[in-house]
Amino acid sequence: MSSTLKSSPRKYRAFSPARVWALATNTVTQLVRMKILFLLLLFVVIVVAAAFAFPTRSPEQQLKLLKDVVFGALQVFSIVMAISATALLLPRDVEDRTLYTILSKPVPRHEYLVGKLLGVLLLIGGGLLFMDVFFSGVLWLKQTMITAANIEALKSEQSDTPENIAAVRALIAHQGLTWNLHAGVWCVFLKAAVVASLALLMSCIATSTLFTILVSFCFTIAGQGQGLLRSFVFKSLPVTWKKICSFVLALLLPDLGLFDQVQAVIEGNSIPLATLAETTGFAAAYVVLYAGVAHLIFSEKEL
Amino acid sequence: MIEEKKQSKSESPKAVSVENLTKIFQGAMGRKPLTAVRELSFNVAPGEVYGLIGPNGCGKSTTMKVMLGLLKPTVGSASVFGHDSDAVASRHDVGFLPENPYFYKHLTGRETLRFFGKLCGLGGSELRDRADAMLDLTGLKNAADRRVGGYSKGMLQRIGLAQALIHEPRLLILDEPTAGVDPAGSRRIRDLILELKARGITFVVTSHLLEQMQEVCDRVGIMSQGRMVREGRLEDLISVENQTEIIIEGASAEQLAQVRAIFAGSSGAKIMSLGKPRTTLERLFLETTVQTGDEE
Amino acid sequence: MKLNRKAAAVILFVVAGAVKLPLEERFSNKLRASGLLQMPVGMEARESLGQMGFAASLGGLRSLVASITYLQAYSAFEDTDWGKVDSLMTVTTRLQPREVSYWDEASWHQAYNAASSYQRDDKLRAALRSKLYRDHVERGVEILQEGLRFLPDNPKLLIKLGTIYAERLQQPQPRKAAEMFLRAFQNGANNFYERRAAYELFKLNEHETDLQAYEIMKRYYDQGMKMKSSTIMHNLPILEERLGIPPEQRVKAQERDDPLKAPNVQPRLPQS
Ligand SMILES: Nc1ncnc2c1ncn2[C@@H]1O[C@H](COP(=O)(O)OP(=O)(O)O)[C@@H](O)[C@H]1O
Ligand SMILES: [Mg+2]
Repeated sequence: MSSTLKSSPRKYRAFSPARVWALATNTVTQLVRMKILFLLLLFVVIVVAAAFAFPTRSPEQQLKLLKDVVFGALQVFSIVMAISATALLLPRDVEDRTLYTILSKPVPRHEYLVGKLLGVLLLIGGGLLFMDVFFSGVLWLKQTMITAANIEALKSEQSDTPENIAAVRALIAHQGLTWNLHAGVWCVFLKAAVVASLALLMSCIATSTLFTILVSFCFTIAGQGQGLLRSFVFKSLPVTWKKICSFVLALLLPDLGLFDQVQAVIEGNSIPLATLAETTGFAAAYVVLYAGVAHLIFSEKEL
Repeated sequence: MIEEKKQSKSESPKAVSVENLTKIFQGAMGRKPLTAVRELSFNVAPGEVYGLIGPNGCGKSTTMKVMLGLLKPTVGSASVFGHDSDAVASRHDVGFLPENPYFYKHLTGRETLRFFGKLCGLGGSELRDRADAMLDLTGLKNAADRRVGGYSKGMLQRIGLAQALIHEPRLLILDEPTAGVDPAGSRRIRDLILELKARGITFVVTSHLLEQMQEVCDRVGIMSQGRMVREGRLEDLISVENQTEIIIEGASAEQLAQVRAIFAGSSGAKIMSLGKPRTTLERLFLETTVQTGDEE
Repeated sequence: MKLNRKAAAVILFVVAGAVKLPLEERFSNKLRASGLLQMPVGMEARESLGQMGFAASLGGLRSLVASITYLQAYSAFEDTDWGKVDSLMTVTTRLQPREVSYWDEASWHQAYNAASSYQRDDKLRAALRSKLYRDHVERGVEILQEGLRFLPDNPKLLIKLGTIYAERLQQPQPRKAAEMFLRAFQNGANNFYERRAAYELFKLNEHETDLQAYEIMKRYYDQGMKMKSSTIMHNLPILEERLGIPPEQRVKAQERDDPLKAPNVQPRLPQS
């Protein structure tokens, strides 16, 4: 009777990178085809506008402004992507019942979660990489133009001594394209990764997309202020309700302020490699924690 | 017949076994808990087509979701080919077509099948061949490179069937496979089920359309309000033991009068009805309408 | 089972929270100490930023918010609305107190632009004009002093402050100016500022300061042609006179009469 059936069932593995990868790449395709990458186009417009449309000020100010606008845009985009992409995925799979078909395959639930998160991270990472490359190009162009203009000005004043030219170059280079900027972009990515895993957790608790987005945004903003809450908690004040609430919030939220070393990067400071590694460690710990809690909740979820 | 069932049970493990299943949905925020399935038990032998019949809301889909591990039983258990439904491994042998299936709109039919194939551990040329074979089987070849977002209801059901079959499962669980599909489409799905049945695949199918179930099921269970109310072979359930149907072609009015006369004097038997036989509405529809051929 | 997992989730959350809090505190303190993180925005700036601005500054967009308030200040400057320039620049410097150019520009707006604009304003009475001039120059000094608290010994700010002491006050303060220029030089400014300090010290006409000025000027004089600016050639003999330097050690007479035109060695950084 079952002669036409292959009698050897495929061996089942508890964790299969191939399955996770299939889920992740599917997530990327889904988001890309949802035209989420139009955000990148918007970014390009903003960068070009910031680079060439503002009134000419001192060279340092011009470069700083460009970096400010670009890093502002990078952060906003990566956070918006992290939250909306994550929130669009899981609740939508539940609402559309696509989750039934996926989980009725031999896919453990944790793989589904890991696959989705990985997909979002791949998308954000790819987006940031593109933005980094584009922005670096524009910054370099701008920097070259400013340097040339300033050396030209020195020449016209007949004070183009090697010493002066070197001073101009050094000043502009300090505010221009450096490796630090990439470290800054990495920090932006880390923050977005933490926010994405937080949004994943939220979407496991709630099933509606809108709710997930709203709560994730609130938590992200509160996470930015977690440092303030914490220092309030650590101050030796009498224990009040306010203090207890702050404590609970500080306990739950990630300190997203840790990733704002970006600000120092814009000012031209450099992040030591060890600090960068430690920051990455914090981000990884947050991601693992939130994904782990998300799994505990999701594995129990009635679909 | 009961003997037969027992025999096949002892020969090979049961394809599906649901034992004393009760599923209670905890009411969210103050709503009353709802018992969707009560003390339900049934078995399906390998190679059998088993139909779960019942009105909407009687717990058919809930039962299927428990069989697939999508829901956890409150009491009792379900197992597939000897594996508990809770275990992910049990899903290796099962293909599922959910009620009103819905797939990622952004993928084409072929991409959808490949995606699900990868989830089942397929890859490389095996996966490509398998996906193409399934597109062939379900008649979606010409629509394979269109996005699923543009598929009609019937095509969605068929791509759903194709993804359920992608990993060559031994058991197919189909939840309302013909709901919302026009008669041509539902006839096609029915033929497909019969074809797969001939290949030895076991089925659990739900529907509230009895006529369709009649044509494919070996055995049916009738559910009502979460309970199994009748279960058995289809003919046994629907045949009326003490009635006999006679269909005569080309009889004259005199002949019919004679037939009537035979029973007029009889004390025990009497004619319940006499008239022109009616084809089923479904058959009539199929004969008079043109197939839309939505895959072309 | 169901309760167990949910309980496990809550417990994991709380335990991880309790573990992470001190670690976060330690790490962010470390980052602050090394200047990689800033202190939260103070109360005063919080008010002028408004809800949105404050939230954005908290949300990792601090530098961008500073750029925006800076641009707003610039447009207020174009409208010669000096009060607004001051308050917007104050917010800007509060947001990014380590950004030298913000302090520099904030003080420049007050001590130069605003002060001179009031001085030239003939709709105002003379007494009022000079009071407003004085007030705004002093405001510029205040801004720089505050900036130096965040950026101690920053040469650019020290030079700016020294220049205001030397040039913008109605009663110039050469002693303070010289101190600023010297500190700037010691912290990496061009050697022009050491000579500039000497010129200021020279103005004081006191023995101590004359000695200091002489030491500096003589040193540059001895370095050769390049360093002999016309000011040195003019001032050195006077100092020699004031200090009673023995004739054989004095600068040669013919050189004094024929001062070479020294090339301008003042660094020319691009100006706005
Ligand atoms: N996730 C759920 N939460 C609460 N109630 C549910 C859920 N799923 C189904 N039900 C309820 O359980 C009952 C049975 O539903 P279902 O199994 O879908 O019926 P059928 O498939 O036979 O039409 C219905 O009353 C339905 O409202
Ligand atoms: Mg149903």
